[in-house]
Amino acid sequence: MDLTAPAIEITGLDKFYGSFHALKGIDLCVAKGEKVVICGPSGSGKSTLIRCINQLEEHDSGAIRVFGTALDDSLASLDEIRREVGMVFQQFNLFPHMTVLENCTLAPMLVRKTARAEAEAIAMRYLEKVRIPDQAQKYPGQLSGGQQQRVAIARALCMQPEILLFDEPTSALDPEMIAEVLDVMVTLAQEGMTMVCVTHEMGFARKVADRVIFMDKGEIVEEAAPEAFFTAPRSERTRLFLSQVLGH
Amino acid sequence: MAGSTFWRSKSVRGIVLQGGFLALIAAVVIGATLTARDTLAAQGLTSGFGFLRKATGWEMNFSLLPTTTSDPYWWYLLMGLMNTLFMGLVGLTGASVLGLIVGLMRSGRNPAARLLGTLYIELFRNLPLILQLFFWYAMANALPAPRQSLEIGGALVNARGIYLPGLAIGPGTVALALLAVASGACLAVWVLAARRFRRMEPQGQRRLSLAALGAGLALAAVTVLAGHEPGTAWTSWPALAGLKVDGGFRIQPEVYALAIAIMTYGAAYVGEIVRGGFKAVGRGQMEAAAALGLSPWQVFSRVRMPLAFRAMLPILINQYVWLIKATTLGIAVGFSDFFMVIASSINHSGQTFEFIAILMGGFLLINFSLAAVLNRLNRAIALKGHQTTGVQ
Repeated sequence: MDLTAPAIEITGLDKFYGSFHALKGIDLCVAKGEKVVICGPSGSGKSTLIRCINQLEEHDSGAIRVFGTALDDSLASLDEIRREVGMVFQQFNLFPHMTVLENCTLAPMLVRKTARAEAEAIAMRYLEKVRIPDQAQKYPGQLSGGQQQRVAIARALCMQPEILLFDEPTSALDPEMIAEVLDVMVTLAQEGMTMVCVTHEMGFARKVADRVIFMDKGEIVEEAAPEAFFTAPRSERTRLFLSQVLGH
Repeated sequence: MAGSTFWRSKSVRGIVLQGGFLALIAAVVIGATLTARDTLAAQGLTSGFGFLRKATGWEMNFSLLPTTTSDPYWWYLLMGLMNTLFMGLVGLTGASVLGLIVGLMRSGRNPAARLLGTLYIELFRNLPLILQLFFWYAMANALPAPRQSLEIGGALVNARGIYLPGLAIGPGTVALALLAVASGACLAVWVLAARRFRRMEPQGQRRLSLAALGAGLALAAVTVLAGHEPGTAWTSWPALAGLKVDGGFRIQPEVYALAIAIMTYGAAYVGEIVRGGFKAVGRGQMEAAAALGLSPWQVFSRVRMPLAFRAMLPILINQYVWLIKATTLGIAVGFSDFFMVIASSINHSGQTFEFIAILMGGFLLINFSLAAVLNRLNRAIALKGHQTTGVQ
């Protein structure tokens, strides 16, 4: 890990599902502390792209570097990268057989070998940050969707990662719960966390993104600062997409 | 319309229907009892349980503790019950371990392993259990005669059984020592799994669990030491003596044939339950665990297995109860389980009603206890706040 290197450096990334070309030669560089929002129609490859970064999906060709560490075939590089890259999923994916606190302490204790008392102290700190310290002893099934997603964010933060990936974090939530999750994400952004968010929340993109990327059919069609992206999109496909998401 | 509204009341209707049903059952039971009593009296048979103290006069070919022909019926029944429990324990444990392997093979990625698992399940699930039992028993009997015994690392194998080298101590001592080891192992698993120990440091928890296991082993060692007759040899090695084998620890063909049949047949069903359990675990939870940096083994042991086990347990309880009842097939090869002891007792004493009652009571007790313990476990580990997993 070299914290002076770019946080994420992707070059020529290709990914196939059978004969379907899901990612077509993607190049992407994310600086430390940068917030990147990726949007695009469903099936455009945006989730696949961020899932390649921590290798939940294996790519077929191209290079991925996280803080200078190249993802090669070695398990060591994968372990190193997964320790530094946290992920928040659309479906929360909390461990339903563990309490909220145990969800948060599991990985630090097993992966970072943190002592239980310290892991719990860290967990409580992040549960306070996502504003649900009082739910620590409850089980995920006893919480609302918004609360579960905030636990999932806390769980990722407990590993104290350098980068957080968000894979449509609000898409499975009721409208009134989206705000509480976005609030937490805005706070994290303001504190300087490196973030890559796949989301359709254009308000969030406008507010915190340093850069917005529009993907379609496995390619990056357009990338620009939010102001330029929303007011003067260059590509016809971007304009069409924006008119569909913002149009009503 | 007072009458029709009276009948339309749900609670009134419920009381009347249930009352009528209970009265009907009571009438059948009372009628059957009175008829049985009259018929028995007419045939000059006395009912009651006084015969339990009489000597049986016949031999039991396998029992965990010593039996002789002068032992009373109650002792034989107890030994038969213990044999059933023993076969259940061996059969269920073997079926679970083998079933877990088969189920993992079937749900893995390796096509060769998947094919092997599928072949196993299709073969053992689709042949009747009694056929499989006869097959294993015929194989056991097809082994060479004692004089041509096969020797495998000090053990002798022939058509009369498998003779293992053992400690030269009494069967009671062996039972006590095994009990000590089993208790230690249960305690160790409990420390690792029970909710009350979850707040411990993982290292401390592991140490406490190992300590429990060690205590069990130490207790077993002390039991063996106390049970050993001073001045005699410590071990007993099987050796050919004329036409038979002396020494060692003999496992009769009917015992291991039945054990193998129950294990392999049960494993086919358990394997499918295991596969279903693993299928029920969402990919999302495993991905989340992997994304947090857990190793593949940690993902399996901390997330995949615990969640799969919760999905398996309710169906496993059913399967276990079924397998315990299947041990009664032992009568086909002459294994003295509870059912066979009852059958022989009926032949020798003529006390049919009493023995059938004891038989039913015995199996109810075994299976009810098993189901009660496992249901308690099922409730203890149920996912909180998920309606589908049955939290009351």
